[in-house]
Amino acid sequence: MAETDFERQTLEHLDALFNLAVYLTRNPSQAQDLVQETYLRAFRFAHRFEPGTNLRAWLFQILRNTFFTFYRLREREPALAEDGVPDWDTPVFHAAPEETGASMEAHTDLERALSRLPPELRMVLLLAEVEGMSLEEVARVMECPVGTVKSRIFRGKERLRELLKDYRQ
Amino acid sequence: MTDPEFDLSEQLPRYRAPAGLGAAILRAAAPPPAPRWWWPAALSAAATAMVMALLWISVLPRVLPADPLQRAIRAIVSEHTRSLIWGQAHPKVIPASLPWLTQETGIGLQRVFVGDSELRFVAGEPIYLEGRRGVAFHYTDPDEHMVSHMVLPAPGLAVPERSRVQIARYRPALSRSDGFAILVWKHGDLASFLVSDMVSEVDLESFKGYFLRVREATEPYIE
Repeated sequence: MAETDFERQTLEHLDALFNLAVYLTRNPSQAQDLVQETYLRAFRFAHRFEPGTNLRAWLFQILRNTFFTFYRLREREPALAEDGVPDWDTPVFHAAPEETGASMEAHTDLERALSRLPPELRMVLLLAEVEGMSLEEVARVMECPVGTVKSRIFRGKERLRELLKDYRQ
Repeated sequence: MTDPEFDLSEQLPRYRAPAGLGAAILRAAAPPPAPRWWWPAALSAAATAMVMALLWISVLPRVLPADPLQRAIRAIVSEHTRSLIWGQAHPKVIPASLPWLTQETGIGLQRVFVGDSELRFVAGEPIYLEGRRGVAFHYTDPDEHMVSHMVLPAPGLAVPERSRVQIARYRPALSRSDGFAILVWKHGDLASFLVSDMVSEVDLESFKGYFLRVREATEPYIE
């Protein structure tokens, strides 16, 4: 299992891809599957990657396409958690960094609100705000114009604000 | 671009990939090992060897008991089992079928037990056991036990003294084989076998009663 340069370079982005996958799938196990499938596709189509361009954006683009191809169907059938509450309404994330008190509560509300957003809005917000990607890079990943990215970011924040207001009442 | 109200990078926890995920990905991406060139040949050879072994087993001599009586008993039990499994292949009404049976087997029957209220006659048929032609009569009792009486030419067959049991004035040999009870007696050069699956003590007493009926009412001879 000799690791090629290409494989080594792509694996440097493993944590970033996994983080996005967890927020997209809201299920750590599915997130692992999604990331693995993303990497297998990336290795298979490595010849299509143009050296010198943004490898991270290319990987996020594959992850996005894989998510929408294989995982989005599950979004239409919200699974029930053990307590009978739909999965999309519970913060199901695993092994979150250790926090206590108000900050953890705020994170929980934010995570829950984020999980209520449509995946396209959620993904744009995560790429731009969490991964710190430029609008152009996000547009490339999302395969849409920069203007669309801007409007999605705006709409995403509006929705988050409304949801958080509901939670905090 | 960061909105002070929504600094998601600060407010959202970041999830790290589980340890081992990278290695698992590399393992999954590794090409499968190339098939070994000698596998098809080895598989073919193994299949041929298996077929040869199966053919060889079928022609191996069977382990047969040295005792002629035990061999005959084994054949009788097999025939009885066949009758149990396949049913009564040739139901014939006695005595109308006697000439046919005699013609088929070379064994004449001056008298034959045709059944009574307790032991119902089912069928009479020619048999071929141990290289000899014989005749078989099948009966059933009220408990649905099948009782078969088979007669074979067996001039050299000795009924062992140590196995004999006293039933009224007769002294047939009693044997057990594979869950069946067998009573053996002789009429000159003919050997008679009465066989059934009646092996418990209670059943065995009834079986001896059936023997008495058959023994007293059947007189075979070699034509």
